Amino acid sequence: MPIIVKLDDILDARRMTLTELSERVDITLANLSILKTGKARAIRFSTLDAICEALRCQPGDLLEFDHSKSRQSRKAS
Amino acid sequence: MYRPYPNALTLSRKVLRALIVLTPIAGVLILALFVASLVAEGPVMGALGVRPGPDRAALILGMRVIMVVGICSAALAQIALRRLLAIVETVSVGDPFVSENAERLQTIAWVVLGLELLHFLVGQVAARVSSQAHPLDIHWSFSVTRWLAVLLLFVLARVFDQGARMREDLHGTI
Repeated sequence: MPIIVKLDDILDARRMTLTELSERVDITLANLSILKTGKARAIRFSTLDAICEALRCQPGDLLEFDHSKSRQSRKAS
Repeated sequence: MYRPYPNALTLSRKVLRALIVLTPIAGVLILALFVASLVAEGPVMGALGVRPGPDRAALILGMRVIMVVGICSAALAQIALRRLLAIVETVSVGDPFVSENAERLQTIAWVVLGLELLHFLVGQVAARVSSQAHPLDIHWSFSVTRWLAVLLLFVLARVFDQGARMREDLHGTI
């Protein structure tokens, strides 16, 4: 998956643990862990909304598209 | 709101388990009849009501073909029944929308199609070998409902496949 979740970096910058974030956004630690490790298949806008509000960031700060891992670049290589 | 009968699942499981036991027995009995018709053609065919006559050989051949079809049908039915029981088990566990069930339904659809084709073959054989002197009445009839059931099974398999994929997606949604 070429989408990279940078939740770890933002949590580091905010000096916040995943457990604290879990309590603030009311999302289970297990689900946040899935998101953090990039194993999630999709993310709801409501989840994005809650995380961005809790971490005072933009959706773009959380997600990044890695062009080297995209389907087209894989086909080219 | 639709409320399924609570005992329908238990009843289905019991019926399916009974049929899973009965179909091989039926297959073995037909096989025994087939072997007996080869070993002791005269007495067996006599017991089945085949009288001497010009069409006797064709009638016996037709009856043997129908017996072979019967054995194949029992084997095919066994495949479908086992798959159906597996689907019923997933319903009782509470997780029926899985890709395995879509595959099982697809297999059942192919099996029922095969059974329908065999049924058609039996009708053709019976019509070919039956004569006024030796009528072979097996109560064969063409049924649109059965062919619709085949179609329905293929459609249901696709629906299950799509449903399982959607559920999988939802499962990974945070």
